[in-house]
Amino acid sequence: MSAIRIDTSDQHIINLAAIVGGTRSILYKKADLLAYDCDGFTIHKHLPKAVVFPENTEEVSKLVKYCADHGLPFLARGAGTGLSGGAIPVNGEVIISMVRMKKLISVNLENRRAVVEPGFVNLKLTNSISDRGYYYAPDPSSQYCCTIGGNVAENAGGAHCLKYGVTTNHILGLEVVLPNGDIIDIGRNGVLDEPGYDLLGLLTGSEGTLGIVTKITVRILKNPEGKQTVLAYFDKVEDGSQAVSDIISAGIVPAALEMMDKTAIEAVEAAAFPVGHPKDIEAVLLIEVDGIAAGIEEQINEILEVCRKNKVREVRAAKDEAERGRWWANRKTGFGAMGAISPDYLVQDGVIPRSKLPEVLKKIAQISEESGLRIANIFHAGDGNLHPLVLFDARKPGEIEKALEAGSLCLKACADVGGTITGEHGVGIEKREEMRFVFKEEEILAQTNIREVFNPNNLLNAGKLFPTPGRCVEIKKENNALLGRNV
Amino acid sequence: MSVKESDLKQDTPCTSSLSNYLWRDPPQEKKWADCVHCGMCLESCPTYEQTGEEQHSPRGRVYLIKAVAEGKLSVDEHFANPVFSCLDCRACTTACPVDVDVGGLIEEARGQIRQAVPLKGWKGAVNKFFLHGVFPHHNRLGSLGGLLRFYQRSGLQKAIRKTKLINIMPQHLIELESIMPEVKRSIRKTLIKSKGETKHKVALLTGCVMDVFFSDINDSTINVLTRNGNDVSIPPNQTCCGALHVHAGDREMGRKLAKQNIEAFEKTDKVIVNAAGCGCMMKEYTELFRDEPEWKKRAEEFEKKVVDISKYLHDAGYDKPKAAINTRITYHDACHLAHGQGVRQEPRDILLDIPGVEMVQMPNADRCCGSAGIYNITNPEMADAVLKSKMENVPEDVEMISMGNPGCMMQMALGVQKYGRNQKIVHTVQLLDWAYQKEDGGDHHVRHKD
Repeated sequence: MSAIRIDTSDQHIINLAAIVGGTRSILYKKADLLAYDCDGFTIHKHLPKAVVFPENTEEVSKLVKYCADHGLPFLARGAGTGLSGGAIPVNGEVIISMVRMKKLISVNLENRRAVVEPGFVNLKLTNSISDRGYYYAPDPSSQYCCTIGGNVAENAGGAHCLKYGVTTNHILGLEVVLPNGDIIDIGRNGVLDEPGYDLLGLLTGSEGTLGIVTKITVRILKNPEGKQTVLAYFDKVEDGSQAVSDIISAGIVPAALEMMDKTAIEAVEAAAFPVGHPKDIEAVLLIEVDGIAAGIEEQINEILEVCRKNKVREVRAAKDEAERGRWWANRKTGFGAMGAISPDYLVQDGVIPRSKLPEVLKKIAQISEESGLRIANIFHAGDGNLHPLVLFDARKPGEIEKALEAGSLCLKACADVGGTITGEHGVGIEKREEMRFVFKEEEILAQTNIREVFNPNNLLNAGKLFPTPGRCVEIKKENNALLGRNV
Repeated sequence: MSVKESDLKQDTPCTSSLSNYLWRDPPQEKKWADCVHCGMCLESCPTYEQTGEEQHSPRGRVYLIKAVAEGKLSVDEHFANPVFSCLDCRACTTACPVDVDVGGLIEEARGQIRQAVPLKGWKGAVNKFFLHGVFPHHNRLGSLGGLLRFYQRSGLQKAIRKTKLINIMPQHLIELESIMPEVKRSIRKTLIKSKGETKHKVALLTGCVMDVFFSDINDSTINVLTRNGNDVSIPPNQTCCGALHVHAGDREMGRKLAKQNIEAFEKTDKVIVNAAGCGCMMKEYTELFRDEPEWKKRAEEFEKKVVDISKYLHDAGYDKPKAAINTRITYHDACHLAHGQGVRQEPRDILLDIPGVEMVQMPNADRCCGSAGIYNITNPEMADAVLKSKMENVPEDVEMISMGNPGCMMQMALGVQKYGRNQKIVHTVQLLDWAYQKEDGGDHHVRHKD
């Protein structure tokens, strides 16, 4: 303790610092905390009480226990690239930053699994094993910097999830610190289909409301033998959408099937990784197939054929790996690229049946027109996961509210055609109220009841994932949590 | 980055009543307006890699710089910490989907901080001594060079090392002292004619550090240029490029030096630079004259002339050497060459054109080495951590590490010594010069004195 020189009289800060071994592992001054008042979702902001940087599971457990015992709200944060506000400390939480727990603990090629700490960056896993012919499949566009711990919390997806599934399909085991500080192991040894409840499935995508993951066993895959990417330009969105449907109907399962609309093209072409997409087309498709080398060419030919049948303006396969890389860099930096054409953006994450694509895109265009805000569309067309990007300027009074409303209407449009409100970004703060578009009160209650089992005092990441409670008892609990009281 | 017409009116000092930037030349709103907080820059940042703290990440720094303009933070020591911990390596701009000019914002913010919170103590003394006392004055740097030359030749160096007097110096200075290059006489000629027919006329920035500590690199640059049909002029009234000053927040001195250089090189069409840091700075002189339209125009003209030696050779053409230098090398991208000027392939192509050279790829070759101007003197602990990561990426079995910046050369030499490696540190242009000299059967070093 004597080694810790802390410039505060707040006993909680002093005690938290002691757990993580001193001043280098805690931030508590305003100038340092400000960088943590939001994540990739910048509409809601709130300062945390402190940010602590544990380096092992025991420290996480002690921090959690301290917070639980003293009624301090707390939450876990990875790289802070989440798009729904899951890591924003709306209750002035103590942020437990997982970024210093960033080791690749082990790789087991024989059983095709790797064990990582939660702060390990997604793409680093693939980079660490690619020379041995393996990779980690879930590839959110933020994979250059997002952490696997964050991916587990949000059940992150990515362009290649069409064929390979989202994060939950690749998680084999978790070590979790529960909201009372207890440490549990689930999915032991990565054996599939453990008896008992599927806690792995429950924890993955729980948006940091049930526990803090401290160790993750993931599935790794052998690199596909062959890989080819096709680029197709369409004059009409409808034709592009129809091509998407026809490709899937033809029995092809592309590794990825991505679409960008005109406004999105304008942004990516104005940004740092332009590839020369024509400005006057309504849609560009990026289609990738992978697998056994022998079948690739046949599939590519079939895709080219389907595109031509759907009045494609231009369609071709990447001539080499470099071109393929440029196409993907252009697509994967698409969200950030919005900065080139708009000061702020809000990205939505609706999912719809593929066949409804033209209808919903039309509806989104209408929402854009009525709100007076431009909306770009970048999306995983293959699995019907839309990302309408509502462009706005936060400096203009009233525009944030307008953007939020337009975003919400986009989700309503998705829900109305039998879809849902999030495919991979999570609910967070952003889509809490929209949960009512897809769940009845009883269905929400069933879920908050589960949360209560794990997180009875709701000190861990309160105010996320579910709408403002409709029951008095819920309200009471939430209020107590906000006030930092034990119930 | 798209500069829209509407941005231009924002190109004035921040007049918002909320802003806590009170001095001339504050961080520009249009520079941060493109940042949407996506976080793609995080992993590119060496200081975020070391700390995991977001205020020490590009996104965090931009956010704080914006917060000061919005009146949420004041310009004080707490704000200074993340702003001055930045290496200004520009890797984040390469990673950024919209090319947010984080380096430019950092330099502007530092300008504000230095006026609000003048440096005191050891750091203040170091800054003042080097930035005002030495670098802007060619003769004083020359004298310092002379002093160092005396220090090395007279036996004083040996004496100090032997008598353990060295032990009273701070650790990082002891380390720097031990890798200090041998100081030689600097160039005095003002025109060196092409060896054959004159095809081009170029001017050379001799630089301050380059001129004193690495004058043989300037010799090699001249040899390579004259051999390939270039008359090389060395305008005598040129001065330090001002990069170290601008990085340290001393924009006033930066402007003074920039003006002197713009004038010194007014009559030349090409300004050849062999130090990446200087080249990058000189290509950004316009930034310093946002509110001096006359000078801004001249700076714009000047910027177009500035070119790194490797890019110049690549574009203007050079003879491929015929003699072989049999060596295994790796190449380190100086930040201000790769991220700052987009020069990556040209130096590699030059090296590969030398017969016998075998290139081994360095992982993360464009990761900062921690030199960053005088960062390794002012922030030794972080610089060392960054250097350690860098050295871990240097392949085991290479004999040389080639690069295009004197600051990196010193820092990497320190790394080689500190981590028990044995690579020779060379400037790209040196290796080319050696190959030519071998081909010509001449001496290894031809010098250009008086």
